Amino acid sequence: MLAAEAGATGPIAFPILTALILVPVVGALLVALTPKSRPEIPKVIAMMSTVGTLAMSIWLMASFETGESGFQFVSKHTWIEPWGISWHLGVDGISLFLVVLSGVLFPLAIAGIDPHHDEKPYLAWLLLLQAGVMGSFLSLDLFVFFIFFEIVLVPMYFLIAGWGYENRVYAATKFFLFTMLGSAFMLVGLIATVAIASRDLGYTTFDLVEIAEGAEFAASTGRWLFFAFAIAFAVKVPLVPVHTWLPDAHTQAPTAGSVVLAGVMLKLGTYGLLRFGLYLFPEASFWSRPLWLTLAVIGIIYGAIAATMQTDLKRLVAYSSVAHMGFIVLGTFAFTTQSLSGSVIQMINHGVSTGALFLFVGMIYERRHTRSIAELNGIQKVAPIFAAGFMVVMLSSIGVPGLNGFVGEFLILTGSFLTARWWTVVATVGVILAALYLLWAYQRVFHGEPDEENENFPELKLKEGLVLLPFLGLIVFMGVYPKPVLDRIEPSISALITRVEENTDFVEPAPTIQIGEHDSTDDGADMEGDE
Amino acid sequence: MLQQIDTFVGPEVNWFALSPMLTLLGGTLVLMLAGALTPPWPKGLYAFATATIAGAAGVLAMVQWDDITDDGTRTLVAGVIAYDTLSMFMTITICIGVILVAMLSDEYLRGTPNDGPEIYALYLVAAIGGIVMASANDLIVLFLGLETLSLAMYVLASSNRRSGESAESGIKYFVLGGFSSAFFLYGIALVYGATGTTNISEMVTALQGGVDPFGNESLALAGIGLLIVGLGFKVAAVPFHVWAPDVYQGAPTPITAFMASVGKAAAFAAMLRVLVIALPFYRDDWRPIVWVLALVTLVVGSVLAVVQNNVKRMLAYSSISHAGFILVGVEAAAHGAGEADPGPGMASVVLYLILYSVLVIGSFAVVTVVARNSGGDSGIDSFKGLARRRPVLALAFTVFLLAQAGVPFTTGFIAKFGVIQAAVEVDSYAIAVVAMVTAVIAAFLYLRIMVAMWTSDPAEGAEPVAVPFSTGVAIAAAVAFTIVVGIIPGWLIDAADQVTQYAR
Amino acid sequence: MADLVWLIPAFPLAGFLLLLVFGRRLGDPNAGYLATAMVFGSFASTVLIFFDLLSKPAEDRDTVVTLFSWLPVGTFQVDMAFLADPLSIAMCLFVTGIGGLIHLFAVGYMHGDAKFSKFFLYLNLFVFSMTLLVLGENLLVTFLGWEGVGTCSYLLIAFWHSRESAATAGKKAFVTNRVGDWGVMLAMFLAFSAVGSLSYSVINESAETGELAASTASAIAMLLLLGAAGKSAQLPLYIWLPDAMEGPTPVSALIHAATMVTGGVFLLTRINPVIAASYDWVPTTIAWVGVITALFAATIALAQNDIKKVLAYSTVSQIGYMMLAVGTGGYVAAIFHMITHAAFKALMFLGAGSVIHGMHEEQDMRKMGALRTVMPITAGTFIVGWLAIAGVPPFSGFWSKDEILLFALADSPALYVVGIITAILTAFYMTRQVIMVFFGEAKWTSAANEAEAPEPAEGEEPIETHDAHGEFKPHESPPVMWIPLVVLAVLAAFGGVLNLPKLFGIPSGVSYELEHWLEPVIEFGEADITGTWAYDNKYILVAIAVAAALSGLALAWLVYTKKRIKPWEPTLFANGWYYDAAVSWFMGTPGREGFQVVTDFDAKVVDGAVNGVGVAVKEAATEVRKGQTGYVRQYAGVIGIGVVLLLGWFVVIRGIL
Repeated sequence: MLAAEAGATGPIAFPILTALILVPVVGALLVALTPKSRPEIPKVIAMMSTVGTLAMSIWLMASFETGESGFQFVSKHTWIEPWGISWHLGVDGISLFLVVLSGVLFPLAIAGIDPHHDEKPYLAWLLLLQAGVMGSFLSLDLFVFFIFFEIVLVPMYFLIAGWGYENRVYAATKFFLFTMLGSAFMLVGLIATVAIASRDLGYTTFDLVEIAEGAEFAASTGRWLFFAFAIAFAVKVPLVPVHTWLPDAHTQAPTAGSVVLAGVMLKLGTYGLLRFGLYLFPEASFWSRPLWLTLAVIGIIYGAIAATMQTDLKRLVAYSSVAHMGFIVLGTFAFTTQSLSGSVIQMINHGVSTGALFLFVGMIYERRHTRSIAELNGIQKVAPIFAAGFMVVMLSSIGVPGLNGFVGEFLILTGSFLTARWWTVVATVGVILAALYLLWAYQRVFHGEPDEENENFPELKLKEGLVLLPFLGLIVFMGVYPKPVLDRIEPSISALITRVEENTDFVEPAPTIQIGEHDSTDDGADMEGDE
Repeated sequence: MLQQIDTFVGPEVNWFALSPMLTLLGGTLVLMLAGALTPPWPKGLYAFATATIAGAAGVLAMVQWDDITDDGTRTLVAGVIAYDTLSMFMTITICIGVILVAMLSDEYLRGTPNDGPEIYALYLVAAIGGIVMASANDLIVLFLGLETLSLAMYVLASSNRRSGESAESGIKYFVLGGFSSAFFLYGIALVYGATGTTNISEMVTALQGGVDPFGNESLALAGIGLLIVGLGFKVAAVPFHVWAPDVYQGAPTPITAFMASVGKAAAFAAMLRVLVIALPFYRDDWRPIVWVLALVTLVVGSVLAVVQNNVKRMLAYSSISHAGFILVGVEAAAHGAGEADPGPGMASVVLYLILYSVLVIGSFAVVTVVARNSGGDSGIDSFKGLARRRPVLALAFTVFLLAQAGVPFTTGFIAKFGVIQAAVEVDSYAIAVVAMVTAVIAAFLYLRIMVAMWTSDPAEGAEPVAVPFSTGVAIAAAVAFTIVVGIIPGWLIDAADQVTQYAR
Repeated sequence: MADLVWLIPAFPLAGFLLLLVFGRRLGDPNAGYLATAMVFGSFASTVLIFFDLLSKPAEDRDTVVTLFSWLPVGTFQVDMAFLADPLSIAMCLFVTGIGGLIHLFAVGYMHGDAKFSKFFLYLNLFVFSMTLLVLGENLLVTFLGWEGVGTCSYLLIAFWHSRESAATAGKKAFVTNRVGDWGVMLAMFLAFSAVGSLSYSVINESAETGELAASTASAIAMLLLLGAAGKSAQLPLYIWLPDAMEGPTPVSALIHAATMVTGGVFLLTRINPVIAASYDWVPTTIAWVGVITALFAATIALAQNDIKKVLAYSTVSQIGYMMLAVGTGGYVAAIFHMITHAAFKALMFLGAGSVIHGMHEEQDMRKMGALRTVMPITAGTFIVGWLAIAGVPPFSGFWSKDEILLFALADSPALYVVGIITAILTAFYMTRQVIMVFFGEAKWTSAANEAEAPEPAEGEEPIETHDAHGEFKPHESPPVMWIPLVVLAVLAAFGGVLNLPKLFGIPSGVSYELEHWLEPVIEFGEADITGTWAYDNKYILVAIAVAAALSGLALAWLVYTKKRIKPWEPTLFANGWYYDAAVSWFMGTPGREGFQVVTDFDAKVVDGAVNGVGVAVKEAATEVRKGQTGYVRQYAGVIGIGVVLLLGWFVVIRGIL
C-alpha cells in the first residue's frame, strides 16, 4: 500500500480524486444559484459538470497503473484531528471502474430524460448524488466512507419524493429509513472497530489501510464487527430478505433516479462488502461465507421468480436487479480470483445494462404514461429501432455471450464452482429464469399486433438514440473485449485473496478437482432426470 | 447570631473570574432600570442590548478559557463556584443561546404587550441561573441557580398573556417544576446527611476518605435517587418528561427555543456536576439508572414523536429523544467518573449540548415565522408547500431537520457521532445501538415535515411567509454554524475535550 | 492458408454489419444477394482451407488461430481462438455451402416481405454464429456461437412477431434451449475445475491420458448431453422444434434442419474422448436417448397433416439417429448422416417452401395433391430427397443410415431393432407426404376457394409474394428458388460417395473417404467394431435396411394411393403423445401458480413484515400517547411512580432495608 501511495503521488500533483468529488458539489451549488429568469442555464452547468467529471474519470482510468494491486492517486490530509480522521482518498482495481461508471452514468442520465418540473433542484440533487457516490468509492477512511455512504440517501430521497410517480413519498421514506437503519448498525460497528483497533495501534485512527495493516481482531470480535458492517451492505445490495425497499424505490423513482440507483448505488453494498468485509475482516467474511452464499443464491432464484410475475415493467427490472446482485454476492464470497473479478466486472455490467433498461422503460413511460405490461403490446411493429435497442440490452441482461452481461456472470459462476459447487449449480438455474422473465415480458410488450393506444407509439428519437448509443457500445465492447478491464481488476483481487489466505486457513484451490465417485453418479442421475 | 455577623468575613473574591456572570447580572439590572425609566426604545434595541450583553459575557468566558487551560482549574468564592473549562464552555453555550433567542424574540414581541425590556431581562436572569448551575461547586449554590433559572422560565412560559395555552403551560411548568425541585432539595439534604457536606469537593474527599463516614449508605443512595429525579425533570428524561410536550407547545415559540437550548444545557451541566463530578464514588449505583433513563427516553421520545401532528410538539418530543442521546453520553461519562482519565463521555455531552442548542433554536426560529404567518398555528399543515412560498426558508429548515436526524456534514451528525463514540469506547454497545435505531425512528418525523414542505402544495390563500430581518440573521447564522462546524468540527471537539479537566 | 480460418466467420459478420448500416437502403432483393454473396464467400474460403489441410499429412491437420485473449483471469485463460481441423472444416463446408444455397432460395421466397433486409441481417448473423460454433477452439467460443445461433433462431422464429403463435414459439425455443445451456455451462465449470482449461485440446488430451477421472468425464458428458438434447431437439427437450416451424421456411431449412440443430451432435463428437473416458452407461444413455427420440418422433410424423410439421418431426427423428451413432461410437457415421441429412432435409424443406409459396401460404397437405403436374421441378427434387431419407439405395441417406445401424447392431441388438422400426416408419411417413402433396387427385381447386375466403386463417397476415389474382393456380417457383433445389437434389442423391463402404466391390480407393478425413479427430472415441457379428455380415444388414425402406414405401403406397388399407393416424400420434401439451400444462398451471405463491409471499409476508414494523410503532405510540392527558395531577403521578421505581431500584439492588 505504502509503495502505491509513494508511486501515486508521482505522475500528478493535481488532487484528481478530490476534484472528482468537489466538481459535482460546485456544479450543484452553481445550479442552485442560477436565477429563475434563466431556466436554460442549469442544464448547461449540470452537463458541463458531469462531462467534466466523466473526462476526469476517464483520464484516471487511462493513467491508472495496470498490474499494480495497491491504491493509486492517494491523497491524504488530516481532517478531524482530535478523532484521528483524515481525508484519505485512493483508487485501486476494485473501485476504479465503479468510479468510471459513476462518471459515465450521470451525464447520460441527465441528458437522457428531463424532469417534468423544477429542473433546477432536480439537477442540483443529481449532482450532489454524484459527489456522494464518488466519495463512497474513493474514500479510504472509515469515517469519510460512512459520511458519503450515508449522505447519498438525502439526494436520492428528494429525487424520489420530489420527482417520482404516484406512490413516491411512501417509497422514498421506506428507502431512507430502511437504508438508514442498516447504516445505524454500521456506525456503531465502525466506531467499535476503530476503538478496538486503537488498542492495537496505540493511537486512534479511522484510516482503513492503517487499521487493516496494523490491527488484529480476535475472531469473535471481528465477526461481530463484520456483521455490523454487513447488515448495512446487505440492505444496500439488497439481499433477500431485506430487499423490499428496492422495488418500491425503483418503481417510484424518476428515470434518472432509477438509472443511478441501479447503476451505482446498489454497488455501494457489494463494493462495501469487498472493501470493508473481505479486506477489513477476512476471517469473519470467510467464516460466514455459507450464510452469504446461501442468501445470494436465494436472491438469484427468488428475485427471478418474483420478476417473472410482475405486472409493472419497472418493478420487473427492479426484481431482476435483486437476482443480478445475487450473482455478485455469490462471486464475492466464493473467494476465487475468477469469481471476485467476475463480481467486480459484473457490478459495471449490471450498471450499464440495467441503467439502459431503466432508460428504455422511462422512455416507454414518457410515450405511453404507463408502466403496466398489460397495457403495452405490439411496439416492435410500430417502433422497430426502439425494439431492437431494447432487445440488445435485454439479451445482455439475460447473459448472452458476446454481450457484457455474460462476462461477469460466467466468471462468477466458473470461479464459484471451484469453492462452492452446489451453490453454483443452483445459481446457474437463474440463467434459465432470466431468459424466462425477460423474454416473456418482451413478448407481451413488443410482439403481437399493437392496439389503438400503442399503434402511434413514437419511434426512437435521435437524441434518445445518442444517449443510448454509449450504453450499447459498452454492452458490446465489454462483452467482446473485457481484457483491459480485467487486467486492471485482477491484481487488486489477487491481493485481496492473498490477504484472506493469510488470515484464514483458506487456500484458493487450483483447478484440478475431480469430482468424487458418488458425486458423479448423482450428477448423472440429477442432470439427466427424466431421460 | 450577632457576633457572627460582626465576625463575618466575606470571602475574598476573584471578581474577574466571575466577570461573565457579573456582566449578565449588571446587564440585567441596567436593562430593567433603564427600560423602566425611559420611554420605549426604538425597534430592536432591547434585543440588540440583550445580545450585546450576552455576547460580552461569552467573550469574557472565552478570555477565561486560556487562563484556565494555562493555570489550571480552581474554585471561587470560598469554594462554591468552580472555575473550570466546563463552566466556561457552558457559559459560552448559554450566551450563544441567549443571543440567538433574543434575535428571534425581537420581531415576535413587536406589537405585543410584552414589547418591553422584561422578557429580555428574564432571558438574562435565566442565563445567570443556568451558568450558576453549570459552575456550582456546592449543591446549595447549584440549587440556587436551578431555582433562578426555573422561576425565570415559569414566567417566560406564561408570558403570552393573549394565549390561554401559554398561561396553562406556565402553570403546569410551575407546579410540576416546584414538585421536582422539592425532590431535588430533599435529595441535597439526604446527601448532606450522608456525607456531612454540600460542597462537592469536600463530598468527594469525604466519600473517598472511607466508605460513607457516617455509616449510612442508604441515605446517600436515596439522596442520589432524588437528585436524579430533580435533574431528570429538568432535562425532560422519561418518565420525568411529562411536562415537556405541553409546556413546549404552549409557550411562545421563542421561549420554547430558549427552554430547549439554554434550559437543557444548564440542566445537563448540573447533572454532570452532581453525578459525574460530585458522586463518582457511587457511580456503579447511579450509572444503571442513567442507562435505563437513556433507554426509555430514547425510545419514548422518538416513538411518540412519530404520531404528532403539531410541529412544535414534534420538536418537543424530538428534543426528548435528543435528551436520551445526551444521557447516553452521561452514561459513558459515568464509566470513567472520578478517574484521572475520565474518558470522552463528558466531552461528548458538552459538545452535543452546544451543537444541539444552535440547531434547536434555528428550528424553532423557522417555526416562529411560519406559525406567525398562519396565525400562531404550528400544525404541520401550515408547513405545506413552504418550498414553493419560501424556498430558502424551507431549505434552512431542511438543513436543521436533517441535522437533527444526524445526517453527515451537519453538526447533528458530529454530535451523535461523538456520543456514540464515547459510549462504544466504554463498551456500552447496547445503548449505542438502541440510540442509533431510535434515531432512525425519529428520522421519520423529520421526513414528514420535509415532505410537507417540499412535495405538497401550499394551502389555499396562504400568503408568503414574512421573515423578519433579525430572525433571518439568526436562522442564517444557525445554518452556517450547522454546516460549517459540521464539516470542520475539529476545533470545537478540541475545546470540548479540554472540558474533561474540571475543578473540585 | 489455414491461418485464414478467421475469414470463414469474417464474411458473414461483414455481411451482418453492412446490412445493419445499409440494409434498408439496399432493400429487396439486393440485400439478399449481398448476404448470399457473403455466405458463398465464406464457403469459398472454407474450400481453400479444406484443400490446404488436405495437402498436409493427416496428423498435423489442425491449425489454431488465436485472434485475441477473451477472458483472462488468473488461471482461467480463454482466447477468442479458432480451430481448423478436419471436423470443423467438414462442418463449415456444408454449413456455408448449404447455407449459401438457402440464402439464395430465400431471396426469392422472402421477395416482397416488408422486413426483407432484416431477414438477411439475421440470416448472416446466424451463419456467423454457426461458424463460430463449429470453429471454436474451446468450449466457450463454441458456447458463444451456440448461444448466438440460439438467439438468431429466436429472432427468426419470431420473425413475423405480430403473429402471437410465432412470438410464443420463438420464446419457447429460447427458453427450452436455456435449459440445455444450463447443462453446457455446468459442463464448462466442471471442465475448468478439473483440467483448468476450456480448450478442446486440453480437455480431450486429459481424457485420453486418463488424467480426467471417469467420474468427472461422465458428469461432463451427461451435462453436455443435456445441452445437446436442447440444441438438437432430443427428448426431453425436443418440444420447441415443431413450434419453430412458425418461422419462414428458409429458416426452417437452414436452422431447424441443416445446421443449428446438429450442433449438439457436433459438440458430442468434438469431445468424443471425454465420452470414451466416462463410464459405460454414459454412451449407452446417449444411444438410447437418440434411438427413442428417433422412434418417438417418427410415430408423431405419421399423423401430421402440416407439410412442415412432418418434416420437423422427421428432423427430430433423424437427429435421433445421429445421437444413436454417437452413443454407439459411430462418430463418422454421425457426421456422415449429418451431412447427407443436411442436404436432403434442406432440400425437402425448401421444396416444401416452394410448395407453400406456390400454394399461396397453404401448409395443409390435405388441400394439396397432384402438384407434380404444376410444379415439376419442385416435385422432382423433392422426390429425390424422399428417396434419400427413406434410405433407398443408392441415394445418400441409405449409406449414412446403414452405417449407423451397423454400429447400433454392433453395440446392442435392441438398439438395432428400434432403429430398423424407425427406418420403416420413416419410409412410410415420407411416402405418405409425397403422395399427399404431389400425387393423388388435386384438392387445391377447393383450396383456392379457401384462400379466397374473406378472412384468412387464424390471425396470420397473408404475406402476398405477388399480386393475388382471383383465378388461383399453383405455379412453379422462379429460378432463384428452384436452382438451389436442383443443386441440393444432386447432393442428396450422390452425397453417399463421401463415405462408401467396402461393399459391392467398391474400390478401397474411394471408400471410407470421410472416415479417413475425420480419423485424427475421432480415432480415440470411434468404436472398433471389426470382428463383431455385424461387421462380418454387412450384406445381411444392407438387405434388411433395403427391405425396411421398401416395405415402408410399399405400405404407404397401399394405404394412400391404392387405399387398400385404412390410414391409421391415431390422435395420440397426431398430438405428439401429448408430451408437449403436458409440459405446457405444467408450466402454465402448477408452475405459474408456484411462481405466484412466491411473489405473493414477497409482497405480503416479507414486505408485510417491513410495513408491519412501521404500523406497530404507530400503534404503540398511539397507546402510550394516551398517557399524555394534559392533567397536571396525572403528570405528577407519573413522576411519583418514577420516583418510587427509582428508589425501589436501590432497595432491590443494594438490599437496603
